[in-house]
Amino acid sequence: MKITRVQVLAVTTASLLALTACGGSSSTGATPVGNTTSATSGAATSAAGSSTATATGAAAGASAAASSVPKLPRVHLTMWTAQASATEADQVIGAFEKATGATVEKVVIPDPYETNVPTKFASGAKPDLMFYQPSQNTLAALQYKKNLLPLDNEPWVSRYADSVKQQGIIDGTRYAAIVTSPSVIGVYYNKADFAKAGITTMPVGYDELIADAKKLKAAGITPFYEAGADKWPLAWQVAVQLAEPTKDGSLWPALNANKDKWTNPVFTDAITKYQSVIQQGLVNSDYKTGTFVNQGTAVYDGTAAMAVQLDALLSEIQAKHTPAEIDKNLGFFPISAKGSIATNNPDQTNAVVLLNTENKQRQDGAKALLNFWLGADYPAFIAAAKTTSIETGVDSPAAVPQIARTISASLANSVPSLYIEPVAHVDLYLYLADMLYGKKTPQQVAKASQDEFTQEATAQGVPGF
Amino acid sequence: MSVTTHLSRRRKPAVLRPSLSGQKAPVPHSHRSRRRHPWIFVLPAVAMFSVFFLAPTLLTFFYPFTNWSAFHSNIDVVGLKSFRSILHDGSLRNALQATLIYAFVVAVCQNLFGLGLALLLEEDTWLNRALRTVFFLPVLLSALAVGYVFRAFLTPDGALNHALSTISGAHVTFAWLGSTTWTLVVVALIHSWKWMGLSMLIYLAGLKAVPPELLEAARTDGAGRWRTFQAVKFPLLAPAVTFNVTLALIGTLNSFDIVQATTGGGPAEATQIFNVYMFRVFGEGLYAQAAAMSLVLFLVVTALAIPVIMFLRRRELSL
Repeated sequence: MKITRVQVLAVTTASLLALTACGGSSSTGATPVGNTTSATSGAATSAAGSSTATATGAAAGASAAASSVPKLPRVHLTMWTAQASATEADQVIGAFEKATGATVEKVVIPDPYETNVPTKFASGAKPDLMFYQPSQNTLAALQYKKNLLPLDNEPWVSRYADSVKQQGIIDGTRYAAIVTSPSVIGVYYNKADFAKAGITTMPVGYDELIADAKKLKAAGITPFYEAGADKWPLAWQVAVQLAEPTKDGSLWPALNANKDKWTNPVFTDAITKYQSVIQQGLVNSDYKTGTFVNQGTAVYDGTAAMAVQLDALLSEIQAKHTPAEIDKNLGFFPISAKGSIATNNPDQTNAVVLLNTENKQRQDGAKALLNFWLGADYPAFIAAAKTTSIETGVDSPAAVPQIARTISASLANSVPSLYIEPVAHVDLYLYLADMLYGKKTPQQVAKASQDEFTQEATAQGVPGF
Repeated sequence: MSVTTHLSRRRKPAVLRPSLSGQKAPVPHSHRSRRRHPWIFVLPAVAMFSVFFLAPTLLTFFYPFTNWSAFHSNIDVVGLKSFRSILHDGSLRNALQATLIYAFVVAVCQNLFGLGLALLLEEDTWLNRALRTVFFLPVLLSALAVGYVFRAFLTPDGALNHALSTISGAHVTFAWLGSTTWTLVVVALIHSWKWMGLSMLIYLAGLKAVPPELLEAARTDGAGRWRTFQAVKFPLLAPAVTFNVTLALIGTLNSFDIVQATTGGGPAEATQIFNVYMFRVFGEGLYAQAAAMSLVLFLVVTALAIPVIMFLRRRELSL
């Protein structure tokens, strides 16, 4: 009986607050529209604190139309994040809770994230939304058609820049919202080291990259830093060599139809070239025990001249240095087997998926959070995250270093990586780690990749397997 | 009540039958007790056991023969496909080999360390009591915490190399967890270190149970410490050896946490013991294959543990 009274009181109070527009509108400057309030850019700015991001006139108009933020005082959402994305959404969550009255519980899932999330799924656990890699082969483990909400008709979709419009779409349906500029694999280099070795023009093609590496070695500089202890960064030198066959469509369609194998010369040649980089001593002497964190430090301070990496490396360096310091020390260029095609690899820090929880109130709440994130709050979010804008009409914040803009711009001429294109996931980095320790030949690395690929594709029921 | 009376009562089931006059015969005390506690009282425990122990165990024998995976909701029987799949690439053989080496090293080292400590700390002095507590502490620590601490301790720029650098004056950057040959032994030693306190405790209990008159007789016969240990204490510790070796062997064959936290199965799969490999396969969404590996592990543990226990029991009797 008491509970009923409390519920009646709460509903009555909420209704009165909504009708009189007293419910937090004074702090957000919101205007009541039915049972929703429009969070203006003022709300976003106040939530962001010393935000320096600016929205242009066009964007302001777009966000004003799309920024209707419903009041959600009784909604409790759960959001899963990985360790790498644990704080990424903090600004958004804080501002959203303030603007709507909803509560968002953040749950950090331990690494390896893409392994632990499907395992938790198997036990029946399911959040309302979570960061997740927006590729078909990783989302397949979540049974995306059954468990994820389609997002094609959300208002923020139309505001995406051309370079990210196709990201997050699987089988013609959008299942993932891209929230930050997708990671690009390329070469981070130390400007002072390049100058010392007399390298003035950036290499074009992997062979030129190796030639420059030899020049650096001759100048007494360690050319590449490899992080064998963390293993996952090992895949990138192979990944960039597959850009051309990915672009011309000669690689993945045949492989995904089981008409070609990972043991074909395209892969084995790429793996063999990477092995030769190691064998020629063009890497740090502790490449077996090198770590990702030390990789960032080494390239930044010039202990090693280059690292083939994705955006995670920049985030690691950004946490320790100012944009001006970073731009003074570091540069970036895309590389491919024969040219300068970039390889994109959107990871879990770049995308968010919404889960089909069969609870309409929570599903609507999660959609409202995403709408707020990529709508009214977007300028504040990218300012807090110090990341480039992926929405037309919203400028990147001043705190973003030039190198990040270069990386983001390279997306325009990029192809998806070997973690995105295949229909089934392959832990190539694990087999490359075995190769580093002399336990596998390039051919065995390719065979192990094919075995895993076949196993997963068969489990998925991919036609042809 | 005499023994005879008790036995004679048990031989007279006729008292349970109703009398011809229709009157109920007096029910003996023991049978009244049985009626007051009917079998239905056991149902909650049986239900709990069935749901949380029996059913999962039985499912372990079923899932390997299905196509259960993260990629679809249906689970269909597909025969031996999962077994063929895990046997195909040789990883299972490597995992099995690593597991057996790991189990052997741990079983030997944990027992040697435990027995050594028990002998050293056998006397009941205050210092020994304090040291027993100290050596038992790692048993109470979280295995994951132990793994992470040792990982940090053994990295090339970790505390051990710093200490060695200070002592030697040279810059030591040895990768203790970077050898594809010796890292498995290093992790096995960490495992032994964590659990040696438990072995010590069991050996101490065994040593306390050695009759003092035997020790006195040995001393009277002029036996020294080593001879007393060899001829009196060690043979009488046989049950403790059986228990400790069995415990270490079964525990190690099912080990996961310490290896996962220390090396994650690396370098180059050198420490990828069975459960670490199974965890990886499960994480890839290939649940049927992981279940097949679980069944293989069950068979391996059974095939190893039963002969070892039988051998040790036979040894106990022969000593």
